[in-house]
This record gives sequence, C-alpha cells and structure tokens, in this order.
Amino acid sequence: MLVHYIDLSWRSLKRTPLVSFLMILAIAVGIGITMTSLSVYHMMSMDPIPQKSSQLFTLQLNTTDDGTTLWTEDNMPMQLTYKDAMRLHTAETPARKTASMRSGFTVHMNNQELKPFLSEARLTGRDFFPMFDRDFVFGSAWTLEQEQSSSPVVVINEELNDRLFGGENSVGKQVYLDDTAFRVVGVMKQWDIYTKYYDLNNGAFNSPEPMFIPITLVAPMQIASWGNNNGWKYEGISTFEGQLKSETFWLQFWVELNTAAQVRDYRAYLQAYLEEQGKLGRYTRAVPKFNIQNVNEWMEYNNVVSEDNKILVGLSFLFLAVCLANILGLLLGKFLTRAPEIGVRRALGASKRQIFLQHLVEVSLLGFLGGVLGIVVAQLGLWGIRSTSNDYNALATMDVNMLLAAPTIAISACIIAGLYPAWLVCRTQPAIYLKTQ
Amino acid sequence: MLEIKPIFNSLLRSKAGALMLLVQIALTTMIVSNASSIIFDRMEYLSQATGYPEAEIFSFSVMSFDKNLDLTQKFEETETMLRNIPGVKNAALFNAVPVSGSGSATGLGLQPASEGGQDARSAYYMADENALDTLGISLVEGRNIRPDEVIESQTREILPKIVLITKTLADELFPAGDALGQTIYFGDKPLEVIGITAKMMGPWLKDSRPDNVAIIPFVSASIFQKIIVRTEANQRTAIMRQIENLMLEDHNKRVITGLQGMDDEKQNYNAADTLMLRMLIVLIVLLLSVTALGIFGLTVFNINKRTKQIGTRRALGARKSSIISYFLVENVIICLTGTALGSISAILLGQGLLDLYSVPALNSLYIISTVLFIITISILSVLIPANKAANISPSIATRSI
Repeated sequence: MLVHYIDLSWRSLKRTPLVSFLMILAIAVGIGITMTSLSVYHMMSMDPIPQKSSQLFTLQLNTTDDGTTLWTEDNMPMQLTYKDAMRLHTAETPARKTASMRSGFTVHMNNQELKPFLSEARLTGRDFFPMFDRDFVFGSAWTLEQEQSSSPVVVINEELNDRLFGGENSVGKQVYLDDTAFRVVGVMKQWDIYTKYYDLNNGAFNSPEPMFIPITLVAPMQIASWGNNNGWKYEGISTFEGQLKSETFWLQFWVELNTAAQVRDYRAYLQAYLEEQGKLGRYTRAVPKFNIQNVNEWMEYNNVVSEDNKILVGLSFLFLAVCLANILGLLLGKFLTRAPEIGVRRALGASKRQIFLQHLVEVSLLGFLGGVLGIVVAQLGLWGIRSTSNDYNALATMDVNMLLAAPTIAISACIIAGLYPAWLVCRTQPAIYLKTQ
Repeated sequence: MLEIKPIFNSLLRSKAGALMLLVQIALTTMIVSNASSIIFDRMEYLSQATGYPEAEIFSFSVMSFDKNLDLTQKFEETETMLRNIPGVKNAALFNAVPVSGSGSATGLGLQPASEGGQDARSAYYMADENALDTLGISLVEGRNIRPDEVIESQTREILPKIVLITKTLADELFPAGDALGQTIYFGDKPLEVIGITAKMMGPWLKDSRPDNVAIIPFVSASIFQKIIVRTEANQRTAIMRQIENLMLEDHNKRVITGLQGMDDEKQNYNAADTLMLRMLIVLIVLLLSVTALGIFGLTVFNINKRTKQIGTRRALGARKSSIISYFLVENVIICLTGTALGSISAILLGQGLLDLYSVPALNSLYIISTVLFIITISILSVLIPANKAANISPSIATRSI
C-alpha cells in the first residue's frame, strides 16, 4: 500500500510541477538555514568527552577579599593563583588532579636543517594524560619522580613528532625549547577536539597544545603564561618570584572525582583549605567560597556557545515556521483542487483513513525531498561560514547526527503542516463531486 | 467604494489559506525587524573608525631564544634597520598591538592605587617617542614624548614620569577639560599628562572603554616582543613580504610570527560579527523571498479557484480595475492584520532577546520600516496575478455553465 501511495504522491507532484517545486524549495531553504545554524550550535555545544565529562571537575577558589568585584557574573575568579594551584597539585588527596597552564616556546633542533618555529605548550602534571583519556603512540607520560625533580622532559603530539622526527619513535631524543634541551618521553596520539574545554580562556575552539611539559618547571625556568593573568588588587609585582607569590589568577586546575562520595570529600577538603588560608590572614572573607563544576557545567558557565549562535538558531527555527506556513497554504490549495478526484475515489470505496494516509505520505515525500535538498543548502551555508572565518573550519561541518536530523526535521515539519489539509480533503463528500461530473 | 465588507466576508469563508498568509506575514515582520536591528547595530560597530591609518600599519612578533643576547641593544639595532627600509615611515617596539584583541589594561587613578579612589579603566601601550608617529595618531593638546624621557629597562622598578592619554580618557578623568599637566597614577607611580592625543582604539574594540588609551614611554625589550611598522600604504605588501628575511638576517636566533596588516588584524578580531552580519542578511533576504512567493502563490491559487466568479463579475459589468482592486484590498487587509500582529510579536521578541542577550534595544523605527517594506513587497507580488485575473474574459463565465 505504501508503495502505491508513494507512486500516487509522485504522480501528484509531477502534475503540478511549479507548485511542487516551490514547496520543495521552501522546505529546502527553511531546513537549509536551520541546519546551518543548528550544525554550528551542535558542534559548539557537543560534549567533548562524553565518557568522562561528569567525572572531571574544574575548581574556582575565591581567594579575594570580601566585596571584591571580578568580571564574572558570580564574582568568582576563572583561574587559580600559583600558590593555590601548586598546593592542591601536590596535596595528598587520593584523586587524580593537575594544575595546568598554557605557554609556548621556540622549538628547534639546534641545527641548521630545521628552521626554528614557535609552538604552544601546556605545563601540567602527569595525571593530565589519564584524566583526559590521552593515549600514547610511543613512550608514556613522565614519571612522578621526573615531575618532582622538575626534569626537562616533554610529551609531543603526533603532528609535532612528524614535523621534528619524521614520525618515527622519538622517545629519548632531544628537542630544544628556547635554549633548553628537553628529552622526549612520549608521543601522544593526535587529539582532535572541537572545544578546548580544559582551558577556555583564550578562545574555546582553539586546538590543544602540541607539547606538554611538567608544571614543576614554571618556577625554575620562570615560564610566563600565554593565557590570561588576572589581578584584582595592587601588589606592585616587579619580578617573576613576586608573580609566583602573588594573588594573581593564572592557572587552571582539574580533578577527577568518580563517585559522589569523592566529590563530597573533595569539597570538604577545599572548605578546610580555604578556612585555613583565611585564618592565615591571606584574605578577608567571612565564608569561604569555591565552586567545582564538571566539563559540561564549565562549558555552560563559560558561554562556549556564543550568544550570536543561540539567536541565530532561534531565528532560523522561526524562519522554518514561516516556510511551513507557506507550505500549508500551498498544500491547502493543491489538495482542495483535487477534491473532485478524491470524491470519485471515496465513491469507489476508499476510506477516509486511506485518503488521509495517502496525503500524509505525499507531504512526507515532499519533506524528504526538501530535507535532502536542504542538506545541500546547508552545506552551501556552512561553506559560507567557513570562508568567512577560519575559526569555524572545524565547527561549520555536519556530522552524521545532523545529516540524519535534516530529513527527520523536514519530514516531521511537513507532516505537521500537512495534517490540516489532509484532514480537510479526506472529509470530502463524494456525492457533491459525483453530481457535477 | 472599496467593497471591504464583501471581501472580508469572502475571506472569512476560506479562512485557512488567508490565516496561513497572515501567520507568515506576522512572523516575517517579527523576524525581519529584530534581525535588521541587530544587522544595523553590527554594521555600525564594524564600520567604526579606529583612528589609525589601518592600510599603512602592520605588526609582528619576535620570539628571541638566544639567552646570551642583550635584548635592549639588539632591538635598538633592529629598530634602526626597520626604519631604514625604503618605504617605511617609522617603526617601534610595543607591548601590545591595537585592535588585535590582546594587550594590557589597568585602572589609571587620580590617587595612588594603594589609596584606592577614583580610576578609569584604560588600555596602555608602552613604547618610545616614535609611538605616535608609528601609529599615525596626532596630538590634540600638549607635546609629544622627548627621547630623554623614555625609560629603557628590563624591570619595572623605575617607571617614566610622563604619559600621553587619549581625549576620551582625559575627559573621563578630568571632566573639566584641564587634563594637561595633571598627575595620574599607574599603580602607585605618578605620571604627568604631557599630551592629549586624538581618538585611537585600544587592543579591544569590545571593551567597555575601547578608546581609553595611555601611551607610557617605557621600553622593555622582551623575549616575546611586538613590533609595529608604518609604511607608505602602497608599499606595505612588498615590505611585509620581505620582513621575515630581513629580521632573520638581523639576527638568526629568533622566530617571526603573527605578521599581519592592521586592517586584517581588525577583521580577525571581528570575524564572528562579520559572520553574524552575513548570516542575518542571508536569512532576511531568503525570508522575504519566501514570504513574497507565499503571497504570490496564494493569490494565484485564489484566482484559479475563482475564475468563474471573476468572469461572472466581469460579465455583469465590473471593470478590470475593480477586479485588480479587489485582490489588492484583500491582500492589504491580510497584510495589515499580519503586520499589526507581527509588530506586537516583534516588540515581545525584542524584549525577550534584550533580557537574555546583549543585543541593542529594538527601535520602533525598524518595525515601521519593516512593516512598510513588507506591505510594498506584498502589493508588488499580488499585482501580477491580479492583472492576470483582470484579463479573464467575461465569456468564461458563460461558456462552461
């Protein structure tokens, strides 16, 4: 029966090519626009590490004086001070945890063959790799001992390994960061994420750093942050030593807590830590304030999905509604002119239900065609986005979910639009039309 | 005369089609007026003047990795080398690049920072006496920095005694207009205002105070040094092309990055806004076309359905013009109701957007012009089918009955 209905629909579409074309075009444009903005939204808001996003937490410790206003909505600093970050980093708490910070170096091999180039680096602890599910192609993370002794060791990603060592096992080889020789201890599998969720400070959609070195090198090598340094009071800092001791916020901190009990314990630990710091007179604050948020909460808190994008998604759905109203109008016209034919069919024994279903199949076919054409329109739109801004290269794409969503949305929208016309037409009284024939 | 009542009655008899058109027009009014409000806001933002001769300026960063190098001395030589390139007007070391989105800002106060008190948020550039000329910014009042007033140091223990500030910053700190010669505080360090410059933007166009800028005559050559160069506009591309080689010839233990013209820098910073602007324009153009097509389609359908009635009316003596005006009036009735509903929902949507996001408040001017525009479009798209209807021959009415 379905095949028969589809056949009938196809004939009906061919009978009024212009109207059919207009309807398909309207759906295609509506779906195209909607899918363009929805795809970008989907990519931006996608859970970057679904298997662990609810176990990885980032910290905010409010170590400012009471009454200090910061630039965040809830007056909580986005990052930690060096002394807090390192204290928590080395604390005897059971969970995996790491302070981390973005910096960068000139990378060279101390020879003439390779032109020195600049590369970003992440200073972090060895826990970073298992916490964020990083696998290694060669070697592994640095050892605890290497971390504690501030050894110049580096983990590089596959891309950098290709560039520096032609892709071979480079563990144990040397590479120069600025003028310090570092030993490669591991080559990390390429990390392709859309959202750099572990450090949202300098653009949420940057790529992860290609190099990782121990966070314990910050003090001996006097490594400055390439991210944000946020001070909130005048401290007259003039040296790096002063920066390390200061109340400036410039490090991120992540902790992995697998059970509710662990979260509770860690909160208690933080509470005690802040109370202790308060007692030492570091800041004047009656009630210690801190915040721990998991990956998705953190992305939400940082407004990873831009306002513009949310507005666009909203407006495009309204646009789709206009297209639907349009189609509904056209369908009404189209179906009603067919009333005489339906009258005959009803007289020959077709039930109302059959007529109704037949017309719903017809609008679904319209929706399907419109949806497929809509994907083409959306690809055009996404291409337009990519050519406007390089930042969107990875984001302005449709993944499988979105490719399937396009015809689904189109068909359901068309069925909604087609319900009323189909219902009207199935109520056709055969007698009237038989009379006039 | 316009036969509104019969038209209205006939509309009521075929409600659904007219209702859909009405919904369409209302939604279109709502979307287009809000979208165009955002569009104009972005256009204004994107076309604002930065104060700089953007086409003459480019900048780049130098990462020096030679530990034994005397940076201060080397960069003196580098500056001289750059200034001697034919076509270069001036070049200077800067701590930050205008409109690049990265730089430093502080509160410049009327009292030392440790005493608190009033201050104004301001970006600051640290550079030498060539700063103004390199940026192509003119002085409004006072004088420029003298070479002997520039402090060159690797630490911030000694700071200069003077500062140049923009007109906007001067007006914020000293509303009486007597900024020249006054003292302002950078942290706890006093700086005398010796000159007031024309408007120039700081590193962040989206800052709450984008054109509060101070120029502090302090040079601290760093391992990650930014350099700004101003050239003859027509020679910029050529000079930019050779800059990396020249810099590496000057010293080979360095890496040159971020070589970019100021106009490109600005474009990068504003990429997201440009994108939003384009998407909204595409959206409303398509939307208006879909709506126009909808009106067109519905009128054509109405005419086909009523061919006989039109023929009968014509046979009974109706003029062509009254047939046309029938469809026009019918359309205008729907259109007016639709745009009226649309205006109300536009205001509601605008209010909702304003509550949730940082969009401009919806000016009623946008609604009015959208409504006028939509009425025009709808009249235009009804004219062709209405004309066709007027040409239906009266004989049709008599033939087939």
